Amino acid sequence: MSAGNKSRPFSLPVVHSYVLPGGPKVYAVPRPELPLISIHLMIPRGAEADPQGKAGLSNLAAEMLTLGTTKRSASQLAVQVDALGATLAARSDWDATYLHLSGLSEDFEVLMGLLVEILTQLAFLPEEFEELRRRQIAALIQQKDESQIIADERFEEALFQGTPYDHPVYGSLNSLPDLSCEEVKEFFEGSFCPEGSLLVILGDVKAETCFRWAEVNFPAGGQGKRWETGEFSALPVAGVKTLLIDRPDLTQSQIRLGHIGIAHSHPDYFSFEVMNYILGAGGFSSRLMQRIRSQLGYTYGIRGSLEPRKRPGPFTISTFTPTETTYPCVQEIFSVVKTFMAQGATDREREEAVNFLTGSYPMKFETRSQVAQKILQAELHGLGLEYLSAYPKRISAVTLEEIARTARTHLHPQRMLAVVVGRAEKFRRAFEELGPVEMVS
Amino acid sequence: MSNGLRILVAEVHSLPVISYQVHFAAGSRYEKPGITGITHLFEHMMFKGSKELGPEEFSRIIQANGGTLNAFTTTDNTSYYENLPADKLELAVRLEAERLENLRLTEENLEAERQVVRSERKLRSVNSPFGLIVEQLFALAYEQHPYRWPVIGWDSDLRNLTLEDCREYYRVHYAPNKAVVVIVGDVDAGEAAKIVERYYGHLTSQPPPRLTITPEKPQRGEKRAVFKKISQVASFFAAFHIPGITHPDLFPLQILCMALSTGRSSRFYEKFEKPGKAVEARAEMGYPPFFSMDPGLLQIYAIASPSVSLEALEQEVWEEVEALRREPLSPEDLAKVKKQVRSAFLQGLQTLFFQGLLAGLYQVRAGDFRLFYSVYPQYESVTAEDVLRVARTYLRPENRTVVQLHPVSQKEHEDLGEVE
Repeated sequence: MSAGNKSRPFSLPVVHSYVLPGGPKVYAVPRPELPLISIHLMIPRGAEADPQGKAGLSNLAAEMLTLGTTKRSASQLAVQVDALGATLAARSDWDATYLHLSGLSEDFEVLMGLLVEILTQLAFLPEEFEELRRRQIAALIQQKDESQIIADERFEEALFQGTPYDHPVYGSLNSLPDLSCEEVKEFFEGSFCPEGSLLVILGDVKAETCFRWAEVNFPAGGQGKRWETGEFSALPVAGVKTLLIDRPDLTQSQIRLGHIGIAHSHPDYFSFEVMNYILGAGGFSSRLMQRIRSQLGYTYGIRGSLEPRKRPGPFTISTFTPTETTYPCVQEIFSVVKTFMAQGATDREREEAVNFLTGSYPMKFETRSQVAQKILQAELHGLGLEYLSAYPKRISAVTLEEIARTARTHLHPQRMLAVVVGRAEKFRRAFEELGPVEMVS
Repeated sequence: MSNGLRILVAEVHSLPVISYQVHFAAGSRYEKPGITGITHLFEHMMFKGSKELGPEEFSRIIQANGGTLNAFTTTDNTSYYENLPADKLELAVRLEAERLENLRLTEENLEAERQVVRSERKLRSVNSPFGLIVEQLFALAYEQHPYRWPVIGWDSDLRNLTLEDCREYYRVHYAPNKAVVVIVGDVDAGEAAKIVERYYGHLTSQPPPRLTITPEKPQRGEKRAVFKKISQVASFFAAFHIPGITHPDLFPLQILCMALSTGRSSRFYEKFEKPGKAVEARAEMGYPPFFSMDPGLLQIYAIASPSVSLEALEQEVWEEVEALRREPLSPEDLAKVKKQVRSAFLQGLQTLFFQGLLAGLYQVRAGDFRLFYSVYPQYESVTAEDVLRVARTYLRPENRTVVQLHPVSQKEHEDLGEVE
């Protein structure tokens, strides 16, 4: 305890692990403060494994996990989950598929029983699949009204063209109508619990109880093969290319600028994190926010982000600004990035970035789901749990020189992709000064 | 404290961190026509510098000490918070007290922030699929009470607000007797309170402002409107007047909302979302501690799937609501929702930030932080008869306001004039 005194040192939650013979590795994290339980299964195969033209397959397979077993229809499963005050959710992201159950610790055995039932007695009912697909198509149509989502989607599609990351995880209006229940089932059976799957259980339950339960009840020997996305290289972008999506009804443009970044496992990931805090991720401490929002008032928010993926993910500068300031805003972003690369960071900026990233680190372990995500991400990216304890030291060790080198090596303002959703005719000519401009639907 | 500042401290020693929060009795309900949005704009100005600090330096220093921070403005309060290492408590207290006393308000900062807030308004309302529909819903449901204008304000008012308006707002609303300080986390309560007293003790209270809040009169018949805009889908947003935060009927009302739309076994999900009639269908009214101070609105909305008739969908939604006014919830349904409440309540308690909000917002909105202790027991004591009674009392068609979104073409959109 402290109040003006030295703070207690932060200790990572105690994580117990156990390798289930023929099954996933199991982690147990006892958190007895509240009578809650949180169960996370991760299968290391996600939308990267969607075959060409089958965008959304992995995510549909994940969703089907929540839509009935041979013992219970989708509605009966929903009634059971809700009656426990629990939540059941499944989704894919690029590199993995996640199944999550959370509820009260008094229901630990029932919830674990549901998990096993889902994994071993999945129904794959065609009528549930049809309804699910209909819902997803309707949601995608509605999503066309969301300019932020359009900007994100078009940006990633163009950036990763010809690679396994080139389609939306949730599929598209082109791909979803052609997917069949049989294909989804096959996809699931090919990915069920291969080597590298993880089960993380957190909450008011003892580690031995978790392990004993998993040993007795968890299905052994999944048939799935571990998926490995090979190295890929996206089409090289020369110069600055702009894609404009015309939306004459918008009074404010959504802007995405960026290029492919580095993988989470890249040795420069730590220095990139410190560098990007100073450039674009540090809120009001970042150069982009200071210039674009605080000094110029062009936007309510601007952020630079590198998405951690197994293969290099997107580095994106995202913002929005009224139609009339769209091009000036983009010009200023380039100016900030280039100035930063030329000048590097200051001592004070480095110190503040390190202090923020290390000082706020304990707060990332507050909820059970946060802890689970930290464990899963560390393992998924092959970093191991030692990554979690080493993080503050590794961040603190990043030097000014490394920040400058990382900026020079991994930021490429001379070959960026720009995507803008807004009143294209108002700024199309201006963008032609940057390089080729393409109008897309 | 003798100057009217209330301090609430809770010791929680799970992690070496704290949540420091300052909640002001300053929300859009205290505004007047012509200066709508000033409460929220002023929240932005609180980050633009003080006697000691330059613009945005407050944020930079907190982050440089391992903290995260933000602020939010609602109809009833403006709240500032820092979540940071426990040994940085004094820093947060000192900086918050300093900007409460010595804020620097300049024309230059106001102009930059005016544009930022107008950009935020475009993001949240003008260019969002349903933002303007919800604004219209509140403007129609309330005829007299200040809840009829949006927290972010009308764009024309944002353009016209002056530095003098900001100064006056600061003088009247930012005083120790209008604030509640909450500290939750790894602290010694006595020592923490002493630190707060050290930095806030010399501040003087302000006479309470003359409130000009006109209460809303009971609604005596359904009100309807149509809003036309470019959209892929049609939808409707409806609202029923319900009581304010201290009224016990809010608990059965929320159980009613959850029976309608929480979880995949809920009535709306089963009837509308699962078969693909609606992209989304919800009944909601906020949750503790975000119940509104004055009588608020229970909202029901549905976004029709493409090619589904909005009129038919709306009719079916009202049939589901009518069913709750005819028959009590079954014992199984009531038990299910109560368990969902318990689980959600415990999930919320995982963060120090939410624990602080519970105490701070009950104090500033309801006048007594201790009311949050009774939140969970009040849910537990709700009976099926209570739910039936509140459904019959509040979900009457005469108490209903409905705004439908009708999609139009680009040409029609332009003919209707610019949105702002």
